[in-house]
Amino acid sequence: LPTPPARLPYVPQVSPMALLGKVTATTFALERPCCVFDGHADASDAVWLAVAFANASATFRNPRSRADVPRYKQLPTARSYMTLETAAAAFSCSAQSPPVLRVGGDTACRDQGREDPCNGPLPSPGPYRVKFLLMGCRGPKAETRWSEPILLLRAVSPGTIDPAPTRHGSDVVVIASILASLGAVLATIVLGALGAKVWGSLCHQDLGTDAFIRRSYRTHHIPPALPQPLPPGCRCSPPGLCCSAPRPPALC
Amino acid sequence: MAKSDDCVHILQGLLVFGNVVIGMCGIALTAECIYFVSNPHGVYPLLKATENNDIYAAAWIGIFVGLALFALSILGIIGVIKASRTLLLVYIILMLITFAFEMASCITAATHRDSLTPSLFLKQMLERYQRSEPGNNSDNEITKTWDELMLQNHCCGVLGPSDWQEYTSAFRLTHNDADYPWPRKCCVLDAQGLPVNLDGCKLGVPGYYNSNGCYDAISGPVNTHAWGVAWFGFAILCWTFCVLLGTMFYWSGIEY
Repeated sequence: LPTPPARLPYVPQVSPMALLGKVTATTFALERPCCVFDGHADASDAVWLAVAFANASATFRNPRSRADVPRYKQLPTARSYMTLETAAAAFSCSAQSPPVLRVGGDTACRDQGREDPCNGPLPSPGPYRVKFLLMGCRGPKAETRWSEPILLLRAVSPGTIDPAPTRHGSDVVVIASILASLGAVLATIVLGALGAKVWGSLCHQDLGTDAFIRRSYRTHHIPPALPQPLPPGCRCSPPGLCCSAPRPPALC
Repeated sequence: MAKSDDCVHILQGLLVFGNVVIGMCGIALTAECIYFVSNPHGVYPLLKATENNDIYAAAWIGIFVGLALFALSILGIIGVIKASRTLLLVYIILMLITFAFEMASCITAATHRDSLTPSLFLKQMLERYQRSEPGNNSDNEITKTWDELMLQNHCCGVLGPSDWQEYTSAFRLTHNDADYPWPRKCCVLDAQGLPVNLDGCKLGVPGYYNSNGCYDAISGPVNTHAWGVAWFGFAILCWTFCVLLGTMFYWSGIEY
């Protein structure tokens, strides 16, 4: 019987770095397991990632050889698959490599149906559990623990967005109320003036405008009236007062 | 007698001054509204698509009200100096009509500004950006406007790139999530228009994608526009109210 694979204490996890896209609807980014397989891996060994639905991880059986590796296409039926076949040397301490492993980033292999290990997008939000498996020529040599369940994002429909404003700003209320009152005052004055005029003309009252504004108008020079000559016959009447008919002389 | 004459002259002077200010403010209002209508920040297609165009209607009304205020202020100055009852009556009536129009414009601009929430733009963007229905002109306009907005302001989405992750969208129907967690325009682009680091952009590595939302870039110009029309118009109307009261008092004192 082949020896069971060594259980490494490492627990795979989603990358702790601040990456906005580390978990999307169909992909997730794992932290790279540096130095984990040192001491167990030969130069020819490969590290695989086993992905299973969280409720199917207990029933996952390690494949005995590379030919038995469950493929990406079997994920809906077998509830698990293995992907991301990488040389073990890429995970050694001295390797210079990107700090994350993106699971689900290869859409070409899904669309073209290639048989190679396919890192295709995950078809449902999960949750999933993953573990790393070190495979040698004779079968699995070491495995890590299963990760915590990884739940992918689930998008909602934009129909749930309510575009109505929560409440009107106070600015609108201020502008509307002040303007409305100004307009009302003007309208009242105009209607009041009109009404007073109509009332006045109906009652034939002379309102007598107290005109304090004089238009500038040209004054005509009216010479003062010259005193008329006394008609004959007026003697002792007060000077300036003209008599129209001769009167008997009155006492002065 | 001399005192009353002085009072009259002071009133005339004040009314002429008031009308001069109204005339200048009318020209300023016209100029400001023409500037807004000319769409300098390229957000007009987004507003048009909300099917509520009131801010632009308010700006158009502002153009004509400004010209009317300028013309009426000249009429008012002539009427006050000549102390002509007819001219001033015409002035008062036309000013009241202009007052009513400007009041409508101010209140419309202020109310419409309130309705332009981030949720409104978010819903519009998700439903119409890159919608693949052929032949719909306004969807193409919206797509072009958003592309230019995101390119020039180095922003993504309304509140951020996570808008594209939290909600399904017309964009999502034609672009799968693994290759396009958010549109390519959200990535930091080089001189040729290609992403500097595509994998970094897809993962969301800081520095390779634009992490802030475009709402500020939209609401900034729209706010300036709305407040320019609403508050400036409000100030003009308050001043016009005082001048109109003075003119009515003056008119009632002119002898027949």
